[in-house]
Amino acid sequence: MWRVVSAGWRWIVAAAFLTMVSTDQLVAGNLHDTGAPLSSTLPTAATPPPFDPELAAALAVLGETLPSSLTPDMIPILRAGMTNVPSVPDEALSRGGAFQVEERAVPGPDGAPDVSLLICRPAGAVAPLAAVYHTHGGGMITGDNRVGIEGVLDWAQELQLVVVSVEYRLAPEHPHPAPVEDCYAGLVWTAAHAVELGIDPERIIVAGASAGGGLAAALALMARDRGGPALAGQVLICPMLDDRNDTPSSHQMAGLGVWDRTANETGWTALLGDSRGGPDVSPYAAPARATDLSGLPPAFIDVGSAETFRDEDVAYAGAIWRAGGSAELHVWPGGFHGFDLMAPQAAVSQDARAARLRWLRRVLGG
Amino acid sequence: MRDLVGRLSALDPDAGAALQVIAYFDRLVETRAGLEAIVRGAAVLAGCPACLTDSERGVHVRVLPDGGRADAGPPPDPAWPRMAVPGGAATLWLERPPPPGPVGAMVLERAAAAARGVLDRTRGRAPARRSEDDPALVEVLLDAGAPPAARSLAARELGLPGGVAVRAVALEGGVAHVAPARKPVPEGVRAGVGPAVDVLDLPRSWALARTALRLAAEGTPQDPGPRVVHADELGGLAVLAAAVRPGAPPDPDVRALERAGSEAPWMLATLYAVAYAPSLRAAAARLTVHHSTLQDRLAHAEQLLGWTVRDPRGRLRLQLAFALRRLHHDTGPA
Repeated sequence: MWRVVSAGWRWIVAAAFLTMVSTDQLVAGNLHDTGAPLSSTLPTAATPPPFDPELAAALAVLGETLPSSLTPDMIPILRAGMTNVPSVPDEALSRGGAFQVEERAVPGPDGAPDVSLLICRPAGAVAPLAAVYHTHGGGMITGDNRVGIEGVLDWAQELQLVVVSVEYRLAPEHPHPAPVEDCYAGLVWTAAHAVELGIDPERIIVAGASAGGGLAAALALMARDRGGPALAGQVLICPMLDDRNDTPSSHQMAGLGVWDRTANETGWTALLGDSRGGPDVSPYAAPARATDLSGLPPAFIDVGSAETFRDEDVAYAGAIWRAGGSAELHVWPGGFHGFDLMAPQAAVSQDARAARLRWLRRVLGG
Repeated sequence: MRDLVGRLSALDPDAGAALQVIAYFDRLVETRAGLEAIVRGAAVLAGCPACLTDSERGVHVRVLPDGGRADAGPPPDPAWPRMAVPGGAATLWLERPPPPGPVGAMVLERAAAAARGVLDRTRGRAPARRSEDDPALVEVLLDAGAPPAARSLAARELGLPGGVAVRAVALEGGVAHVAPARKPVPEGVRAGVGPAVDVLDLPRSWALARTALRLAAEGTPQDPGPRVVHADELGGLAVLAAAVRPGAPPDPDVRALERAGSEAPWMLATLYAVAYAPSLRAAAARLTVHHSTLQDRLAHAEQLLGWTVRDPRGRLRLQLAFALRRLHHDTGPA
């Protein structure tokens, strides 16, 4: 089972590796020390929301074998650990011939190397199909374009979609804007070659989870600002949006669950270096920094109530609505970061997955 | 949890996996998870469908290894690994061939223990053994004065699921029996059958069942008539029953019937057949006597009774005399 199904969720294992399980940061003094405006609204002892019972049980098992913390110098160790988990093999991608699988090198950003696109096309499709352009997760520091692909292939199989999953350069070796510009270059190429790929250019959506959700949100902003591909939607699954790492939920969940604020700081610092949390961070790095969220494609945003990203993800949906946009927001009670990937059988995970599929069906008219 | 499965199968089944199974179910118990979550945990960790049933408490939860709930499944194979939930009649099984292996055995044990806690907490402690007629529970169920919550609890402990029509049956000697309405009435004894009602309405069903029992006959030559009487079919006889109270003197027609009955062993059975058969010929057939014999008997009987039984009015009077005789035999609770 590990071999067959787990490889696709490597990013979430990575996320779990990055979790702090110490409770030091729950000390009230720490919250005041941050000096952040949002912190002042917190009660001194911000009781975290309880985990969903089934998710808590899953966490109890996975937590058994996970190290408790990660600092930037541990990124190489983390990546080494990841290579021990086999990637999704080609035969798992083709799903018994349901998809034609191809890996293609396409031009990267100006002066940068090519980017590799993993393309999975439903076999035997004649008419142009809608497409999901997928940006994988892994905290900006780990993962490849097969991470998280299985959930996307589930949608593709159900709704007859082409899947294009981009391999982007990782931080800290390649800080911002390398990762997101790689992703954008691949998106532009995909849209330009839609006919060749059997894709309906009017029905391309971007989708990603965690860091990949942040990248997908950034792609929607870039495509709007640069007059790039017209996107039909953006699926942001527990997206990593805000480098400031200072929301009530980021404090409340410190030391708990998956990808706490220490891990989050590690990821953002890898991407942005010293500018993390400062005044000059680009919205293409951290979409929560965007001051204009008008003119974006319809968004689907989901997040757990018991995770670091809860408040920044809810705020992003709110900002889209305030800008006159369309967003569907789900906050799943008791969900930790990536809960439906780590515990797909839990009742709340089944509901979360069904909600995504329903939205896709509505938006893509599939 | 596909990750969980992988993690467990990759571990030393004798040590690490068992500890993780324990951690999983401990956490479910700690967070007061429901039965479905527990059965789902068993299915996912064991990698096969898991099913929990408790016929006494009307519980049936079956979950597939992908986490989907699917209550309908194949009939349980006796060979499947299973475990009785301690302290009750619930059973948890894994739908796969034996042996369960160390991880499967641990899953069964921990899931069963977790399920026990939920069953006790949410559905009341199970009776030590199954007894449809546990008198104390039946008493609560039939007592209109008992609080509805207590009656609901008693119903569950008697294995009577909510939402299913039930009825009270009054058996000879005043024994109460409560069962789903679709079940057959116990045979072999006089019985009054109450109307089908909701569980909380059982006191009413019981009162009517006892009235019906008073009209149920022994089915012997000296007490002819049906041994099982349904309250639903009594009509105005229920009003008549209410009028005949303990200590009331038998009315003249009942005394006349008793007198006639003491004259000949065939008398009461013959009169009963005439009262209820569609025709004299049918009555003769039922009594297996010749038609002319019946005519002779009736001439004798009418003399003793003082009224003719060969016209509708007379037959109604005879039917009422039989009913009143039954009611006087069995005057009901004081």
